[in-house]
Amino acid sequence: MADRSLVHIAFYAALIAALGLVPPVAIPFLGGVPITAQTLGVMLAGIMLGPVRGGLAVLLFLFLVALGAPFLAGGRGGLGVFASPSVGFLIGWPVGAFVAGWIMRATPGMNIFASAAISAAVGGILVVYLFGIPGVAYMANLPLGTAAVGSAIYIPGDLVKVVLAALIAQTIARGLPGAMLSRS
Amino acid sequence: MISIYLQGDSWLHRTPAGLKLLAVAVASLLLFQVSSAFIFAACLAAVVGCYATLGRSGLERLALLRGLSVLLGVLLLLHWVSGTFWEGVPVILRLLVLILAANLVSITTRMDDMLEAVMPLFKPLEWVGLSARKPALCVALVLRFAPYMMQILSRMREAYQARTGAKNSWKLLPPLAIQCLRMSDNVADALQARGGSEGLSGQADIPTGPRAV
Amino acid sequence: MAIWPRKNRQEKARVCDPHADPFAVFEEVSLDLGGKQILSGLTLSLKEDRIGVIGLNGSGKSSFVRLLNGLRQPAGGALTLFGAEAASAAPELPRHVGFVFQNPDHQAIFPTVEEEIAFGLTQLGRDRRESRDEALEFLAIHGCAQLASMPIAELSEGQKQLVCILSVLVMEPRLLVLDEPLTSLDMLATRKIREKVLSLPQKIVMVSHDFSHFEGFDRILWLEEGRLRMDGPPYEVLRAFEADIDRRSGVKLELAAL
Repeated sequence: MADRSLVHIAFYAALIAALGLVPPVAIPFLGGVPITAQTLGVMLAGIMLGPVRGGLAVLLFLFLVALGAPFLAGGRGGLGVFASPSVGFLIGWPVGAFVAGWIMRATPGMNIFASAAISAAVGGILVVYLFGIPGVAYMANLPLGTAAVGSAIYIPGDLVKVVLAALIAQTIARGLPGAMLSRS
Repeated sequence: MISIYLQGDSWLHRTPAGLKLLAVAVASLLLFQVSSAFIFAACLAAVVGCYATLGRSGLERLALLRGLSVLLGVLLLLHWVSGTFWEGVPVILRLLVLILAANLVSITTRMDDMLEAVMPLFKPLEWVGLSARKPALCVALVLRFAPYMMQILSRMREAYQARTGAKNSWKLLPPLAIQCLRMSDNVADALQARGGSEGLSGQADIPTGPRAV
Repeated sequence: MAIWPRKNRQEKARVCDPHADPFAVFEEVSLDLGGKQILSGLTLSLKEDRIGVIGLNGSGKSSFVRLLNGLRQPAGGALTLFGAEAASAAPELPRHVGFVFQNPDHQAIFPTVEEEIAFGLTQLGRDRRESRDEALEFLAIHGCAQLASMPIAELSEGQKQLVCILSVLVMEPRLLVLDEPLTSLDMLATRKIREKVLSLPQKIVMVSHDFSHFEGFDRILWLEEGRLRMDGPPYEVLRAFEADIDRRSGVKLELAAL
């Protein structure tokens, strides 16, 4: 892998870490469930960098968290995070970023907003929950259905993030056309 | 630097990182084979005891339970709603033990020791012709630039607040991402100017320093 | 991180001669970036100890100095660096040419000072322990022993730039290229860094907007719109440059033309 790609991966991992600092916003009409900016970073990694680099950026981020860096929202980090019932969601992140990047690449003709929204929805929600819900079910010994219901409170917030990710991607593409590495 | 590592010199600090990782992995596997609340309670007491051997600052690290309690509470609630409350209790206890034990390894192991312990896992990269040096370089880059990105983000939030009164907006993210790309191009140049990720001799180490200070 | 034995790769035959004089020879060199011509018709040879590069923003200064260490490759013409053709010299150039960038935050790539310095040594093939010891020693020689374990992010701007300079000096290059190294520094730091640079045995090529930085220099290159507008001793070139600026700005200040 070229050094430039290597540095891009490292910078997006650092970006996702930085987004963990943004305080969670509680949106009243969504029932006050706090939403964090970090998963937005995961969606953007795939959308901006493409499948391989995006997935690797998220993987690198998680690797640092596992080594003990307190980079997860709320200053969490270390191996304990990977023993938590929400570990499935973390495992889903790099896969989700990969899928999001893959969709961006597979839809080169589509306008950025639509393409990014689909990528974020499929990669950032569908794929992530596909890993997350069985994770909760396994770790907490709950039936899949119950685990799904328990996880569903975050879906409205994640839908907001899909729209934001698409808006952000569109703004970036307009400001710096070369920035969409997923499409180059 | 930036790490959840707890400075100290306890027996747990002195235990090699690889051994601690192995122990917590084996313990996790074993804990999934049993389901007795009694065993879990005993393990929990043992783990908390280990935190106590680190002294007061070790016990203070149990504060991570505060954030966790909501999540675990919700899971217990889901069990209660499903009519399996008494099956849920040992499950929650097991999670508590797992999380506290894994966290114990992290707070007593310096990040570079941890990195060194897991580096052999990257050996397969060499079989496909990739350098195992690259993951280590990536880790160093993130540790260097994550604080810098946080600084940039907080400056941008200040500037945004000064002009709009609001502190958070998605509008900060596009410029942050663009700046991130520009900066990474510069850094890639700087890396290349010093010989690139593969080094100049064809066989190079990655320096590690007092990272966990 | 030498936990397992590594295959000993054959070192390629060296093509560069670090003592080549002149160290760089340009013949009708041009450079394109993204379909745009950045430099053209450059013919000159460099051998002086202290060479300054001036010009307005966008004149091609940064691209010019990046040609010197292989970060950019010429699109046309012939460029000889340390006695070898530019493309074949490129893999070896980081050994011979230290490059200091304008913004230290974009150059230092390791979390702590010690690692940043040691990186240059590992690049040359030293192992981790050796390079660490040598880095500490090197920092001590340059009076920076107390910085060793500091995170780069917590240094002052002047300290950061000093660390960046030391991190390339530790590789003992023959030539040091500095691209506006003093721009973000306060007056005291500027003076200290400048004196440090001038005291070095290396050949120096430095880009700057501030003429006071060129005191003690042997030669100044003035670039304009990608071409060499003037080349000569500092006094003459700097005076001509200033006269040109006066002529352009004096008549009528048109903001749009800035």
